[in-house]
Amino acid sequence: MVGSGVTKVDRHYDKNYLTLIDEAVSKALADSGLDASDVEYLVVSTAFSETILDQADPSTYIAQNLGLKNVKTLTISSGEVSGAVALDYAYSLVKAGRAHRILVVGFEKMSEYPSWVINKVYAKILEYEVEGIKNVTPPDYAALIMSEYMRKYRVSREDIVRWSVKMHENAVRTPHAQLQFTISVDSLGRALRISEPVTMLDSHPVSDGAAALLVADESATKKTNREPVEVVDVESSVNLPIYLRDDITYFSATASAYKKLSSKNEIKLSKTTALNVYDTYDIYGLLTIEALEICGRGEALKCLSEMPYLNVGGGLKARGHPVGATPIYQIHELRELMSGASWVRYDGDISLAHSMSGPDNNAWLILLRRWV
Amino acid sequence: MRHSISIFWRLKDNHYKIYVTKCRNCGRASSFKRLRCPYCGSQNIEYLESRGFGELINYTISYYRTEGSEQYLPRVVGLVRLDEGPVIVGEITDVDLNELSVGARVEAVLRKYSSEDPNGLIYYGLKFIPVIKK
Repeated sequence: MVGSGVTKVDRHYDKNYLTLIDEAVSKALADSGLDASDVEYLVVSTAFSETILDQADPSTYIAQNLGLKNVKTLTISSGEVSGAVALDYAYSLVKAGRAHRILVVGFEKMSEYPSWVINKVYAKILEYEVEGIKNVTPPDYAALIMSEYMRKYRVSREDIVRWSVKMHENAVRTPHAQLQFTISVDSLGRALRISEPVTMLDSHPVSDGAAALLVADESATKKTNREPVEVVDVESSVNLPIYLRDDITYFSATASAYKKLSSKNEIKLSKTTALNVYDTYDIYGLLTIEALEICGRGEALKCLSEMPYLNVGGGLKARGHPVGATPIYQIHELRELMSGASWVRYDGDISLAHSMSGPDNNAWLILLRRWV
Repeated sequence: MRHSISIFWRLKDNHYKIYVTKCRNCGRASSFKRLRCPYCGSQNIEYLESRGFGELINYTISYYRTEGSEQYLPRVVGLVRLDEGPVIVGEITDVDLNELSVGARVEAVLRKYSSEDPNGLIYYGLKFIPVIKK
């Protein structure tokens, strides 16, 4: 990966998706040292453009508006993991030698309608014929999982929100983060309830954003303005629906994707590995670091203070969750961290991005390594 | 909220009734009428109609507003372990929020899921209520 760029995550009422994308792509191209004319393939990731923007296959219009002509384009829409799938596709094209310079663009415009309309759109990540038709929504599942975790491990509400407190502290230091303010455990009592016990303090905000990456083979690494980052491997697994799981406090898709990834690449994550995980709700962040075997079951809260490189951009909680773009933001943040451009210095060789749709309905892991 | 009439009609066995899919291969049971066992992928399955009784094993009181849900809030969404074994997700209704508890006996009843206001179709399906003591 030879370049990356993002826009600030926000409710961008004054900008359309093309404007946000233009800004992210300009930054990524400048970072890579490549010109738009070097791009052979445009891979676009969005979860909800057809529903929210009434726009099918936006990749063609993005190419037109970026002035890209001799390119192949396609749109990848795969729920909350769209961005991870887009990166996997680009990575596979380069590995197979089918393309040499690929522009990956993720975007989402979640603020175009009032929240109750957008909440309905977001709920489409669950299974319509089972859950959607009954109006079961994503935060309902987060609430069931949180209650179960609290009962099982005798954890308090205040304990769980410590994840969000940490995310907001990280967001304050991240220029592109949406919620650049700190929160405290004390504000829990005043927080707007979503699905009890889940409150606004536990949940991602409604976000717009665009992020771009340049994925290329070795020939492009000489031009880049910063040290490239190697995409080592991508892995994924699928879980059962929540109501068929034996234990809803265990993210088995994340766990089995990690088992495949770690045995293939002979890696083991630790508390000091740079991680960027999906904390759609704070409880999901906790379950993810347990599934990644960084801490034991029920012990994630004990590890939090010992993980300096966990979601340094503020996570979905505080950086925000422009759905189709979120995994691209994660990769950008890890690249910033590994190339010394982040607010914290990281000397580790590897880093990992984790994304998932819903409560671990599927999980994707992207392993990155310093260029050698 | 608007639903496709043909989709809703096709789903009648899963929203007007509760079926359990039992797997003859791995022995596991799952809620919903399914083409294959979700645990092992086998097509060697049989269907059993649930009596609609079970135990509430987890629930949330939800204030999350989605288009069309305003008149139903707050809603109780829960996981019910059917007497036949598997767990189903559904709404718990006609219940005093202060009297809700994990472990409560519940039974399925036909209630309104949603409607196309003000003059459109009304969609019905199964929800759960506390078992009426006789």
